[in-house]
Amino acid sequence: MHIVLIDDDYISIFLTTKLLQRENITDSITSFQLPQEAVYYLQNTLPDQVPDVILLDLNMPIMSGWDFLDAIKPFESQLAGRCSIYILTSSLAPSDKLKAEEYSLVTSVIPKPLDGPKLQAIRAQVLENRS
Amino acid sequence: MSESAQFVNSEQRFRSLFENNLDIILFQDRNGVILDVNEPFLQLLHLSRADVLGRDISDFLPPELIAVFREKLLQAFQGTRVQFDVAVQFIGAEPKVLNISKVPLLVDGVVSGVHMVARDITDLTASHQLIEQQAKKLNTIFESVTDAVFLLDREWRLTFLNSEVERLLQVDRQHVLGRNLWTLFPDEVGGEFYHQYHQAFSMGRAVHFEAYYATLRLWLEVKAFPSEEGLSVYFSDVTLRHEAQASQEKLAQDLHRQNQDLQQFTYIVSHNLRGPLANAMGLSQLLTTPDPDQATLLNHLQTSLVQLDVVLQDMNTILTVRDKQDVADLPAPVRLTDVLDLVLKEMNEPLQKAGGQIVRDFPEALHAHGNRAYIYSIFLNLLSNSIKYRSQQRALLITITGSPHPEGGAQLTFADNGSGFDQEKAGAEVFKLYKRFHTSPSGRGMGLYLVKAHIESMGGTIAVKSEVEVGTQFFLYLP
Repeated sequence: MHIVLIDDDYISIFLTTKLLQRENITDSITSFQLPQEAVYYLQNTLPDQVPDVILLDLNMPIMSGWDFLDAIKPFESQLAGRCSIYILTSSLAPSDKLKAEEYSLVTSVIPKPLDGPKLQAIRAQVLENRS
Repeated sequence: MSESAQFVNSEQRFRSLFENNLDIILFQDRNGVILDVNEPFLQLLHLSRADVLGRDISDFLPPELIAVFREKLLQAFQGTRVQFDVAVQFIGAEPKVLNISKVPLLVDGVVSGVHMVARDITDLTASHQLIEQQAKKLNTIFESVTDAVFLLDREWRLTFLNSEVERLLQVDRQHVLGRNLWTLFPDEVGGEFYHQYHQAFSMGRAVHFEAYYATLRLWLEVKAFPSEEGLSVYFSDVTLRHEAQASQEKLAQDLHRQNQDLQQFTYIVSHNLRGPLANAMGLSQLLTTPDPDQATLLNHLQTSLVQLDVVLQDMNTILTVRDKQDVADLPAPVRLTDVLDLVLKEMNEPLQKAGGQIVRDFPEALHAHGNRAYIYSIFLNLLSNSIKYRSQQRALLITITGSPHPEGGAQLTFADNGSGFDQEKAGAEVFKLYKRFHTSPSGRGMGLYLVKAHIESMGGTIAVKSEVEVGTQFFLYLP
């Protein structure tokens, strides 16, 4: 399973990576502190390689999580059904959850901190979608 | 026709004029004795000709008027024509007001007698009095209404004003009556009052408006009604109401700002406070089981807790500024060069390290009114931003200019040639708390928020203009 992490907070990236390894979910992790770089990465790897999961932070300077979702709209058809995007945010605002529903690529919004059970749930969901 | 016939004719004409005249006519000698009289006099006194002829006019006069009539008669006998008005009640007659002419009859250069012609002006006088009474009543009404009232003729001359006008506009009736409104109030020519009154005149239609009379700092509510004669203007002082409205608007603005702050506070709690907190929670959860990276985990945990503390300290700083905002500290004059000197001294080392240069165009005497510590913080934040976000492509150049603002206080510009930001994207967000527009090196998104809060708490303003890889300019106004 290939997972892309997008979060400007390096501790958050460290934490998520650590959890993914501990829960034996995957070692194939590509992380970006700059969402722009993640967009560039997708531009260059699609459609040959499609990440199974993107874990996306919302609150980032210059390009927010929402901006990222807008930026990858052109690849929506290549991602749909093959890549699940989870918004990983410290935000507790219900408005973020509502807004996420406007994006069909977003599977769900997961409040930080991420933990073992949450990751296992994500894995189960991804595997179920695939079968 | 013979000469004698002509004479008879003229004699007849005179008699006819004498007898049939509606005015009273008497012919008197030097002593006041009535030698001839016409019908109207006899009718007035209810007497016959025989009762009157050969008698002194004094016999028919009330005692207090005898002297006057005698004096006037004597004047006439001196050859001048005399005229006077008198209210008289002849004995046995109705009271009358008479306009009396005494006309001397000259025969061979000698006054041989005097014709007294008395015209009854009783009704005329009564109506004059009525008019006068009504004018007085009108005046009383105009004086008793609480509105200020003045009337203008069609040449803009003041024909009437009540004492409320004198009080409100601080004018003296004696000095302004009859004068042109626009020579009395030259500052108002072309202003709101001028336009409204002209409109009332030209459209022939009443106007109702509120306008500010700057000379006396009064808000006036005005109604003006055009008429054939000119314009009647009623107005009252509504300054208090306007002030109340203004304070209500300010209250609404404050409320709006507080509400925005609250929203921003929610945002801070959900992102900036909860971010490091969530990390700390996640890390501590990982630490419950042994991990080869334990040291790193602990290290990150500590960093997260420090971040948490920084956010809490930031919030404390912000709330302190907000709290102080409404405290009516008397703003002290601050010499801006002094503060800038301090800041430049403080920033000298980082500036040298960055290879930056400062150009300063700042009058020594430039002052602003406010909190010295705030001004220090504003300058420091702007300069450290310029250093932090300098361009890697060229040597940093910061230009600081200042000049007195036309309405007092100072206007300042902090301009750099740094990396700038995309203004279209950032828009009004630049001054918001924890909004960042650069990825590195890390800023907390606190500086500009504080700058704006400090400036606004002193009653100043700040605006920004920026272009990517060209630079950023901040325009400040300090009162």
